[in-house]
Amino acid sequence: AQGHGAKGDNIYEFQIEFLEPVEPKPVCRVTQRQLNITVQKKESNWWERLTKQEKRPLFLAPDFDRWLDESDAEMELKEKEEEKINKMKIESRVPKDPFKHLKKGYLVMYNLVQFLGFSWIFVNMTVRLFILGKSFYDTFHTIADMMYFCQTLAFMEIMNSLIGLVKSPLIPAVVQVFGRNFILFVVLGSLEEMQSKPVVFFIFYFWSIIELFRYPYYMLSCIGIEWKPLTWLRYTTWIPLYPLGGLAEAVCIIQSIPIFSETGKYSLGLPNPLNVTIQFSFLLQIYLIALFLGVFVNFRHLYKQRKQHLGPKKRKMK
Amino acid sequence: FASYQVEILDWKTKKQLCFLDKVEPNATIREIRLMFHKLYPRWYPARQSIKLDPKGKSLRDEEILQHLPVGTTATLYFKDLGPQIGWTTVFLIEYTGPLFIYFLFYFRMPFVYGLDERFTSSPHPVVNLACICHSFHYIKRLIETVFVHRFSHGTMPLRNIVKNCLYYWGFAAWLAYYINHPLYTPPSYGKKQINFAVIMFLLCEAGNFSIHVALSDLRRNGSKTRKIPYPTKNPFTWLFFFVSCPNYTYEVGTWISFTIMTQCAPVGLFTLLCFIQMTIWAKDKHCTYLREFKDYPSLRMPIIPFLL
Repeated sequence: AQGHGAKGDNIYEFQIEFLEPVEPKPVCRVTQRQLNITVQKKESNWWERLTKQEKRPLFLAPDFDRWLDESDAEMELKEKEEEKINKMKIESRVPKDPFKHLKKGYLVMYNLVQFLGFSWIFVNMTVRLFILGKSFYDTFHTIADMMYFCQTLAFMEIMNSLIGLVKSPLIPAVVQVFGRNFILFVVLGSLEEMQSKPVVFFIFYFWSIIELFRYPYYMLSCIGIEWKPLTWLRYTTWIPLYPLGGLAEAVCIIQSIPIFSETGKYSLGLPNPLNVTIQFSFLLQIYLIALFLGVFVNFRHLYKQRKQHLGPKKRKMK
Repeated sequence: FASYQVEILDWKTKKQLCFLDKVEPNATIREIRLMFHKLYPRWYPARQSIKLDPKGKSLRDEEILQHLPVGTTATLYFKDLGPQIGWTTVFLIEYTGPLFIYFLFYFRMPFVYGLDERFTSSPHPVVNLACICHSFHYIKRLIETVFVHRFSHGTMPLRNIVKNCLYYWGFAAWLAYYINHPLYTPPSYGKKQINFAVIMFLLCEAGNFSIHVALSDLRRNGSKTRKIPYPTKNPFTWLFFFVSCPNYTYEVGTWISFTIMTQCAPVGLFTLLCFIQMTIWAKDKHCTYLREFKDYPSLRMPIIPFLL
């Protein structure tokens, strides 16, 4: 503050540490002999004393016009709380979204269908391999149609996130759907030679196990039921399965690179009107790097999510 | 009147780095930077970020100590910006690279297209034209850097130059490779396409140059204050009626014309990336203009008239 003191005009300032936060703009009134500064508490509650330090500065005193005893202060606080609770009760009685049940029904159906699809895949693969003793090599031949169906349907997940039907973020959904469908339709689907490789079995198996837990969990959470063991499984089984799935996809790409180089599929050579060369095998190598980075980043994200859901006890359910 | 005392603390550790006694109240931050530099020779003034608040903005050189909200003992915070390099130096390096790299491909150095094709020349006249245009563009940029541009900041961090050079030089090599390739295919619509592209190229280059000259005239006497640019008698500057950053508009136009001239996908990709980057810069500049000047013309858009 600017003032005319014994030494002439000067700028004065001082600092006080109050016990608890105060409103930032104090009211200053200058009189002939003194400067009055009124400071307001940020939150209206009882303070044991005015300042952080034990001794109160002599020039600092509470405004006795507004003085409330400790008990009075508590009563005032209780009254305010009750008002707030009443307000909230009235607000929650306002009718919500009329389509809510329709939306929930659709989501439950979607998750159910996906769950059934992937269970079929999983059971089929398990039976065929372990019980019937059929080889790895014809996995694609028997399973592909169902997998095409389930993964094509998975585009709906992007739509759900996009239009806000589901609270989960858009980008991870896009990355997962496009990542998987790239492997399925482009790398495996268009190359006959890749379809009879054993890595296909592992890719399909890992994908289906993860989904076996993910879809039922979503289905139940739509209805509002939480089955604790399922929650635990959904947020734990990805720890071994997700990296393994990524590894299987990487092996698949590495095996496909020489085939794309040889056949020149999806590649463009000179001369052409666009004056550019596209080597699909080179793009696949870049994709491989992106895949490792993506798995790494997503792993951290899923781990954080796990801590949120399985961590401290929550009264409300996600 | 009393002299000030200035103490400078590290912005992170809050350790006292120096204590300056008997500082003149009308000392500028520039002078304080010089004094700090004497004590710490490796932190030259361009590298020093001096602030009032550890998380705040850096103070400008022209600020005067007694006009700052400090008491007679001022506490300032220092942050090391890392090794700096002058803007002029950066631009010279950035633009000379593509110029000479293109020539490596145009003259078909042996290591580029193999020994059989070494030092041959293309049967297509458009390839020669493309070389002339590309070189003209970068020579023009070099001339502007030396004689025309007036930079508001003196320096930028050193790691920027690696990033920028990689980008400009890399793309120059990539697009030069395809344009000068023995198997290059000239544009589908032949002479009509090429002539149209050349005219558009020349117009955009002239426009871009006019805008740079107009902007540089705003800061004729070395002042660093910002002023609103207005259209002049030069018809190319009339784009200022519609756009805040016509230099970027013309630049994108130049690259679009080059894409049409060469009909080369890598050039198209480079044009797209340029467009995206310049739109970001233009929007930024536009927002700064709007914030600083209350009477800024409302018809103007950042980079494309009426649209963007």
